[in-house]
Order: sequence, then structure tokens, then C-alpha cells
Amino acid sequence: MKILIIIPAYNEEGSISSVIADIRQHVPDADILVVNDGSRDRTEQLAEAAGARVLTLPYNVGIGGGMQTGYIYAQRMEYDIAIQMDADGQHPAKELPKLIAKVGAYDLVIGSRYAETTSYRSSRMRRLGMLFFSGLVTLVTGQRFTDTTSGFRAAGRKAIDLYARYYPIDYPEVESIVYLKRSGCRIAEVSTEMHRRKAGRSSITPWKSVYYMVKVTLAVLMSAMRYSRSAVSRP
Amino acid sequence: MSIYAFSIILAFSFLVLVLELVRRQKLREQYSLLWILFSVVLVIVSLNVSFIEWIADRFGVKYAPAILFLFGLLFCFMIILHLTIVVTKLTAQVLRLTQELTILKERDSLHGQND
Repeated sequence: MKILIIIPAYNEEGSISSVIADIRQHVPDADILVVNDGSRDRTEQLAEAAGARVLTLPYNVGIGGGMQTGYIYAQRMEYDIAIQMDADGQHPAKELPKLIAKVGAYDLVIGSRYAETTSYRSSRMRRLGMLFFSGLVTLVTGQRFTDTTSGFRAAGRKAIDLYARYYPIDYPEVESIVYLKRSGCRIAEVSTEMHRRKAGRSSITPWKSVYYMVKVTLAVLMSAMRYSRSAVSRP
Repeated sequence: MSIYAFSIILAFSFLVLVLELVRRQKLREQYSLLWILFSVVLVIVSLNVSFIEWIADRFGVKYAPAILFLFGLLFCFMIILHLTIVVTKLTAQVLRLTQELTILKERDSLHGQND
């Protein structure tokens, strides 16, 4: 089993080294690919020094474009599993075996903060937004999801191919679930621990969160109309 | 010079300008078609003023020039919509190129080490 761990990073010099070290300690067989999305700090040098492969994009293409670069790479190099992880240290590498174990039986495995009670706490507004998206995705796909905004995921070959073909450009997490589900993929959630970020700040400001809600809701509804259930059974 | 002569000259020069831009390859044929259509309509309307009045009459519009503004505005919206479609396509193409280039660059450096 060839495993690739994709870490999209934009100005993450404060945490990238420890994230890579954490992965190498818990999953030594996996290859680590840092997609450096036009960082202006020392992210590239630090990631290389820590032993990761680094793809440096010439300018900032946004989280979706960077993530997809990783999936295209995984497809070309014929990896069996591609795992996406945040560069800020939210996702503990000790939880990786839980995700990996389920790939094969499922095309996409999502690490969820809420599937069972974990120690993760977030603000009330944030929880409300997440509840809304869980409801929306559940409505559109007919499967219950508890953590649709989680960026801690493992993808099998079918999901890698689909993501190499299409991946949403900004705020991709929610829509990318609907896209896979509607394309006939089997998706599972597993409960994982998550930390508060070690460095950096959330990119979501109050104004951006309004754009986030509207954009993602529109994208989910469009995606639901684009990939009809009838197309699901086709290979 | 009357406003009629003026508008006829204006419409003709606009058509010539569009065709000249295509000839000099400053404007692609693909994108010029809407503009050519627009300038031809402009020429027809300025040559034949009663045409606008006839349409206004048919639609029950009392102030005939309003028809001109309406269609002028609609045409502008069409062009702008067309442009945003083109921009969307270009954005997707540039992103794909960037991704391919980034992956090629990394493979290239790997080969360099093996040689």
C-alpha cells in the first residue's frame, strides 16, 4: 500500500516542522507531500529540512487549488491512499491509522470531531454553522454526516481520481463530500481527536463567514443538481 | 451636421473599427461576432429611424428612444455575461497549467538527482 499524506501549507513556518515530525513518528511508511501554496515565509525550507517532499506553487492558488495539486500528484504517482491533513497541527498523526484502516471498505474516510464526544470545543456560532452544513449535506446525500468541514480525510483510488478531475477552489470541504457521494462513492466518518491550532489564525473572519455560508450553500445545491443519483450506478 | 448624419457616421466608423481590430489581430474573430452584430444593428437603426418608431409602437412604448436604451443595456449585459464566462474558463485553465507545471518541476528535480 502506497500512502501519501498531503499537507497544503500557506505561511505555516510555525508549525510545519512539528506536524511532519509527528507524522514520521506515527506513520513512518507514508510519503509526506507539502503543497506550499506560494508562502512568503520559510515553510518550503523547513518542510524540506524535516524530510517532506515539497511542491511549491508559483503564486497563491487558494486551499482548493493546492489540495487538488496534491491529488493530481497522488494520481500520477499511483498512490493507493491519499490523506489530507492541516499544516497547523490540528490533526494528530496518532489518529492516522484509524483513517487508513477503513480505506478499501470506503472510498473516503473523514475524521470527525463530533461523531462521538471528543474533547474538542468550539464557539457557539461555529457549532451552529457546522450543524447547518451537516443538515444540508445529510438532506442532499441521504447519509448522516456530523463533521462536514473537517479537513482530516483519507481517500482511496476512486476518490483520488475524482478529486484530480474536479475539486472546489475555495472553502472546498463541504462541497467535496457531496461531489463524491453523488458520484457513487462510499464515505465513512470516524471519530478522531483534534487539537486547537498550534500556530496561525483561522482564516474565517465575520465578513468571510457570511460569504462562506452563502457560497458553500450555493455550491452544495448546484453540486446536488449536477451529479444526479441516476448517474451513481454507472461505473 | 444633423444628428442623423452624425449617427450614421458614428455607426459606420464603429463597424470599421471592429473589423480593423480583427484584421490587426487585436480582437479574436470568436469575440468579434457579438460586436459586429451590434454595429450592424446600429447602422440599420441610424439609416432607418422609422424602424425604431415602428418597434416602439408595436410594444406600446410612447417614448421611442427608450427602446434604443433598453436594447443597448441588454446588449451590454450580454457582453459582460459573456466576458465573465470567458474569465471563468481562463481561471480554470490557468490553475490547471500552474498545477501541471508545479508537478513537472518537482519530477524534474527528482530526475536531476538520479542522473
